[in-house]
Parts: sequence; structure tokens; C-alpha cells
Amino acid sequence: MSKALNHEEFFTSLTTLLTSTSQKARGSVYLTQKPLLSTESTNAEQQTSIPPPILIRATDGNTNAPNPKASSSQGKEKKKKESKVKLSTVVQPDELETFYTRYAEVCKAGMTGLKKRDRKQKKAKGKSGTGKVTKA
Amino acid sequence: MPATPYLPTSAAFLKESSLLLQAYPDSTLITTKYTFPKPKPPTKSKSSTTTSQTAAQSTPQTQTQTPPQTQAQAQATLVLKTYNPASGICLKYRTNKAAEVGRLINALGLLAGGADISRLDGAGATAAVGGGGGEEDTGAANANATAAGAAVSTGAGANTGAGVGKGKGKRKKGKGKK
Repeated sequence: MSKALNHEEFFTSLTTLLTSTSQKARGSVYLTQKPLLSTESTNAEQQTSIPPPILIRATDGNTNAPNPKASSSQGKEKKKKESKVKLSTVVQPDELETFYTRYAEVCKAGMTGLKKRDRKQKKAKGKSGTGKVTKA
Repeated sequence: MPATPYLPTSAAFLKESSLLLQAYPDSTLITTKYTFPKPKPPTKSKSSTTTSQTAAQSTPQTQTQTPPQTQAQAQATLVLKTYNPASGICLKYRTNKAAEVGRLINALGLLAGGADISRLDGAGATAAVGGGGGEEDTGAANANATAAGAAVSTGAGANTGAGVGKGKGKRKKGKGKK
């Protein structure tokens, strides 16, 4: 397992990962988050009163590896080790808001493969709908 | 493995997720998957491009209607998944809209911080129309979520009902204002 990066490194690497995936228009990026529970504190009440830090992981799940069908001649194990990207960082509870603001920005900027808002609609309806509303 | 159904709206997803996180705060995992569809087999894609090219050459109208570039640009999707291995509960939401990304990620941040989204949603809706103390409610929700579990769950239940009932109409109003 790779060591936890600091936030700045994490964002830089994540940006690279997202943009490269978007440019290639293939593969996936998996982002996971879960509480990082400390094994030391045994007191249950203490654990609930103090929220645990959040572990954030990002990986391409090896989906950016060359297509196995196209390059089946190469050694499989070697490819996997070479290409899999794994990033992780730990966010303390008091840093959550700052981190996620930045995280959202990075994701918004990097996930360019998603459907963009129709400009005509945007102009007609105003900027209002941008952030808040879920309209399927 | 049976496929988990996708929740219809992000609001529903966030609400259910927050409830799941409340129930199992320590063992629930949230995954965000940004993915492009699998590339088609090379032979098929080749044949399709050649046919489209020949079609475009013979009839220029089709070229303008469906430019090959847009077809080549695969549409990515974003799938949010909240999974609790202990209970086996899995919630999913899928979108392809870039506009939703920022809001969703921020919401995940709130979830990670243990905030009660369903309560926040209700509070937000009330604030948008009645001008109720939305911000105060947010703070209260945060404190409650960590401090008193029972109080939160009852409060959440009440607010959830209100949020679901009023959500649509109020959100539209909120949209207009901001």
C-alpha cells in the first residue's frame, strides 16, 4: 500500500490522473472515502464524540493499462504493476471543509468527459441552476 | 451478484447515504467512479467508422448532422456508491452531467464529516422559502450527529418527511433566487 500523500501532492496527482483519463476517453477513476479508525482508542464514547479522520483513496483500477486484447503478447503481471495508479491521503475532521472544496474543484476540472451543460439552456435559464438543483 | 438499483435522484442518494452512514458510521465506504464506457472491439469500431466515413462522403448532409468527433468522444459517467459491507447495503447513483460534480463532491464531504444530509436538505428547503434559520440548523445537525444519536434520528425522520414532500417545489424557487 502506498503511503498517504499530503493534500497538495494528492490533488496534483489526482488532477493528472483525471485529465489523462479524460483525454484518453477510456478507463476509469475510482475515488473512495471512509473513516480511518484508530485502533488505539478503545473507548466507544470517545470515538463517537471525536469524528475520525477520513481516508481518501484514488485509483485507476488498472483501467488505463493497455488493452489486453491488443497487447496480449506482453507479460500480464508486468503490465499491471507498471500501470496501476494508487493515491491516498488522510483528511483530519477540521480540514474536511477545505479539503472537499478543493477536491470538488479538482474533480470538476478533471472530469471533462461528462456531459457539459447546454450553453443555450444556461443562458436562457440563468446561472441559478448550476450548483444546487438535481433535475434529471 | 444482483445489480444494485440506481436511485433516481442525487438528493435521494445523499439522503439514503446519510442514513446509512448514521447507522454504520465506521464501516461505510463511499466510492465515486468516474468511468468511460469500454471501448468497442477494434474490428467493430473500424467498420463503423469506415461506414460513417463513406456515408459522409457520399452524402454531406449526414456529416453535418452527426460529426464523427462527437461520436468518438466517449461520454463518461459518474457513479456514486455507498456501501456498507457489514449489512450488505449498497446505494448507487449515476449521472453524466458535469454540472452535478461539484455539488456531489461537496455533499460527500458533508457525509464524511458526519452531517445529516436529509436534515440539511429539509433545513435548506425551509430556509429557501420561509427564511428559517438554515445555517443554525446546519450547525445543530452537525452537533447532533456526533453527540446524541437518538435525537438526530427522530429529528431526521421528521425533517425527511418534510423535505421529501416539499423538496421539488421549493428547490425550484431556490433555483430562481440564486
